Amino acid sequence: MTRRTTRVAAVVGTTALAFSVFGIDQAGAGAEEGWTVDTEDCPDPDATNAPIEGTIRIGSAMPLSGPVAGAFEPAARGFQAYVAYANEAELIPGLTIEVDIQDDQYDPSLTPGVVQGLIDSGVHMFAGNIGTAQNLTVIDQINEECIPHLSLLTGDPAWGDVEEYPWTTGGLTPYNLESRGYAESIAEQFPDASVALYYVNNEFGNVYMDAFREAADEAGLSVDSEQTVENGDNAPPTAQMSALAEAAPDVIMATPLGIQCITFLAELANAKAANAGWEPTIYITNTCASPLILGAAGEAANGIYTSASMGIRDVADPAVMEEEPVAAYLAEMESQGLSDIVTTAAAGWNVAETTVAVLIAASESDAGLTQASIIEAARSLDFHPSLVRENLGNYVMNGEEDAFYSENIQIVTYDAAAGHFVDVGEAYVFETSAEG
Amino acid sequence: MPFKVHHNSVQHWAIRAVWAVATILFLLYIPTKGETGTVGDMTFALQLAIAAMALNLVMGFGGIVSIGHSAYFGLGGYTTAILVDHYGWSQGWTFYVAAVLGFVVGCATSLPALRLKGVYLALVTLGLAVLFPQLIKWKKATWLTDGARGIDDIGYDDVPTWPILGELRREEGRVVFMWWVTVIVVVLAYLVCRGIVKSRVGRSLIAIRDNETAAAVMGVNTARTKTIVFGVSAAMCAVAGSLFAVSGKIVNPDLRNFTLVGSIIFLLVMVLGGAATLWGPIVGAIAYVVVETRTREAAANGEGVIGWLFGWMSGSPAALILALAMLAIMFLAPFGIIGLLKRLAAKVVVLIPRPAGSGTNVPPVDDAEAPSIDEPFLPITTGETP
Repeated sequence: MTRRTTRVAAVVGTTALAFSVFGIDQAGAGAEEGWTVDTEDCPDPDATNAPIEGTIRIGSAMPLSGPVAGAFEPAARGFQAYVAYANEAELIPGLTIEVDIQDDQYDPSLTPGVVQGLIDSGVHMFAGNIGTAQNLTVIDQINEECIPHLSLLTGDPAWGDVEEYPWTTGGLTPYNLESRGYAESIAEQFPDASVALYYVNNEFGNVYMDAFREAADEAGLSVDSEQTVENGDNAPPTAQMSALAEAAPDVIMATPLGIQCITFLAELANAKAANAGWEPTIYITNTCASPLILGAAGEAANGIYTSASMGIRDVADPAVMEEEPVAAYLAEMESQGLSDIVTTAAAGWNVAETTVAVLIAASESDAGLTQASIIEAARSLDFHPSLVRENLGNYVMNGEEDAFYSENIQIVTYDAAAGHFVDVGEAYVFETSAEG
Repeated sequence: MPFKVHHNSVQHWAIRAVWAVATILFLLYIPTKGETGTVGDMTFALQLAIAAMALNLVMGFGGIVSIGHSAYFGLGGYTTAILVDHYGWSQGWTFYVAAVLGFVVGCATSLPALRLKGVYLALVTLGLAVLFPQLIKWKKATWLTDGARGIDDIGYDDVPTWPILGELRREEGRVVFMWWVTVIVVVLAYLVCRGIVKSRVGRSLIAIRDNETAAAVMGVNTARTKTIVFGVSAAMCAVAGSLFAVSGKIVNPDLRNFTLVGSIIFLLVMVLGGAATLWGPIVGAIAYVVVETRTREAAANGEGVIGWLFGWMSGSPAALILALAMLAIMFLAPFGIIGLLKRLAAKVVVLIPRPAGSGTNVPPVDDAEAPSIDEPFLPITTGETP
């Protein structure tokens, strides 16, 4: 047996063992087949194709402080928690993963400096960078430098442009598919409903609502009124709720951001109390769909509709908590002293787990672990993360044909008394690739 | 006993030469020895310095309260973005348009300053800062501004080749190029400020600040002076916004430097460096960016002393540490960093100005602590001349 074969066998064996802890079968990853990246125009093609040995450094830009940090900062700790677990379990034998998450405060003008600083410090790749505008400021630079830029925590459909941005992949379910799920759900459950939109007036909110308007149009829904809230304005949106109450829509599709999820629901409850008989159904973006956030809204969040972000299970559901992959996740988080953020940290954990799966697939490829093989493995991955619901299938990406992992939508409703979500109907299947 | 130096003496010129050489070495060191991220940070610091110099002109020297300068900064950024993205202009030409637009809008918005003072004027300028992002997001203006989504991809793809800089390629080249463009604008902005402050307009401005009624009685045209200075200040700030937009490659109404927060940062930078001093905004901007950047990095890493002191916080302590650092600096240097350096320098050397009536433009000073507008660190004394 050659040294290389031994190493591959060790990788496969250890990985299988690790995944068995979470009760998940590792899916195939065809990094050596299919889509390949062109490295000829890279600043240093040799470096891009050079083996990464010993330590791989992953960088990320996230809001660790500032007005939206409360909602997003736990994702950073979830990411670090999984990497700590992966290193401890030696999921990639002989390779240590280092994570350097820097703070851009969700301000797009700070992101380029943060990302350049990370590039200067020698990161091999980026993963889990948060924010639509934030990633737009650096996507050209990162692609020009030929650095893998994986699983962005934003759902702008623009991340699917493989030809323009071959080194970038999205992490969240694309907003156009999430919106389509909500629009189809509204059309099915409330066929003649009038719909109002409430959204944060920034890049994220507008991209999201453009996608929803298109999906609503296809589903035959009537969008009659709109209200917005400014980015960073966490005051109760009293005027907006009064205007919505006056319009009295049957359904409100809401896309607030961070703390605004709570203030929206609380103020809407006040508006409903002041307008007897008006009981709109609320659909809310899954960026708000954390029991930690919705729990703060209390009874006002009861009965809202949303979806499982990235297809992740509701780790606050007692029944789900006992299932083996989730139980292992909770135990690991508790052992790292993070049991207070298990719901909001799940997104970061999920992105880190997917990233590690990509690294394993890349290290198993003929080229071994290189920056080029990382992006090729990412675009050929067929994998089921431990926290993702079984009924939503694998994360599958297939070169230029399918540029997103999470495409299926499970609509859920929030039970405020129980503090967890309940499924509504069957999942909407938008996956374009067959699982391997 | 401090060493006494006479104005324009050989020793005085020697000190000036040392200061000039140190400045030039700093300007050369950053792009040649600094990492790309550091060059980018320092470029941003200089852009911030231009905005703070603009604010310093009206507020530090003129006593006209303005917390609306973020609007001029944003105006410049959006002028560049619209001309580059919608009309295919080269980035460099848009700086001139931004300056002209900034001057016109600055003159127009100076009108309230002709009638209002103090907190009332502050409220009007506050309205300007709040209004600007809303105007950008206004639905009827989205054909031009692209609304809340902003305009991206407005940076240089390939920077122009300058013989002295050699071939600049990719991001590193773009960052170095923007450094030198910004340095040139900073030098121009400094010369404009220095020229104004030392000119009849500047003396009129200082007279208006100190006692507007007395200035008017002495024949100062207060309305014209305020309008011109406000216009020039807005033009400078707009150019800073243009540079910022090209460096960041994106404009967006939520960028904090285009919002009220930006105005507060400009104010902080001005006070941190030293209000009513020519070097204060430059020194203040560099200090602010260094402290702010290092604070975020240290807090994100959460190691060492930071981790020990702030480990009890659930999130990043960056904002708290920055606030404490700013408080500490202002406690130690109530007249800004330049003021602190003057106090320290006074223990070593003092500058003795030429006697009154000798025909120089040396500004009047009351005591050794008074800030000098043309000497960065040297205190001026009215002590006896030999």
